[in-house]
Amino acid sequence: MLGASLKRLWHKLGSPRWFFSLTTPWVTFFGWSAALLLLWGAIWGLAYAPADYQQGNSFRIMYVHVPAAMLAQSLYIGMGVAGFIGLVWRMKLTDVAISACLPLGMVVTALALFSGSVWGRPTWGSWWEWDGRTVSTLVLFFLYVGVFALREAIAEAELRARASALIAMVGTVNIPIIKYSVEWWNTLHQPASFSLTQKPTMPSEMWLPLLVMVLGFYCFAGFIVLLRMRSEILQRESNARWARDWIVRRGFS
Amino acid sequence: MYFDSFTEFMLMGKHGFYVWVAYGATVAVLLGSWISARQAFVSAKKQIAQQIELAERSAPVTTRNGEDAHESET
Repeated sequence: MLGASLKRLWHKLGSPRWFFSLTTPWVTFFGWSAALLLLWGAIWGLAYAPADYQQGNSFRIMYVHVPAAMLAQSLYIGMGVAGFIGLVWRMKLTDVAISACLPLGMVVTALALFSGSVWGRPTWGSWWEWDGRTVSTLVLFFLYVGVFALREAIAEAELRARASALIAMVGTVNIPIIKYSVEWWNTLHQPASFSLTQKPTMPSEMWLPLLVMVLGFYCFAGFIVLLRMRSEILQRESNARWARDWIVRRGFS
Repeated sequence: MYFDSFTEFMLMGKHGFYVWVAYGATVAVLLGSWISARQAFVSAKKQIAQQIELAERSAPVTTRNGEDAHESET
């Protein structure tokens, strides 16, 4: 019984039409949550959190750097999981997901590198260090660029979907490298700010704004990825009756 | 408020430049992602609207309620 209904749900999940109608209210929810959380977290982190006793005010860059780096990795994991599902079960929707995670993942990785560089200058004394975590994040950026270039280069949809699914999947080996880089190699990076098992080493007035910012970034990602997936679905299904009906019902604007 | 004045807030000790550059880049990335994702959605909708228009022009339908106006395409 349960098995059968789970299987039915699984197949439903692969249906672009079902996904489209399901996610209509989610976009609004994630969009507003992101706006509120990011505004709240940024004001809290910039103006109210106390300065770090060693780093001074430059530590406030953490509130954008850490969420950006977390999101960069999560979006790549998302692409890898989608790629795996797409290769095994041949779902149409997984390629849509990869195409939607890709642009945001790429710019967010660039943001993590950039904000890290700007933070590194006043704290480590240089814009760039060949540090384990920095380099593996740079590799992550190149992986994103690789998948992006691949998708631009292959015109045939089926081949493009399978090739990018494969690269996304294989590239996920880099994620544990980023995570454990601070333990494997001598590093300038501080250890994780958050962990599920330990209490944060920072005082709460410093890590609470970070928590808000991380949540805000993830809501923002939900918002953007869903919006992009929905555009991609509309584009791919532009000949389908349901898509046309939806447009007619919603108005053309 | 951690800072005593707005000037102090802007200066952030000696780190104002770094902090504001990092936050400026973040705002640029978030806004840019939003705008481009929105544009993708709008253009996808436009594409369908054009196709509907095209279908209606090539096969004018005379049903009374207009229900099956796009049937020829599907």
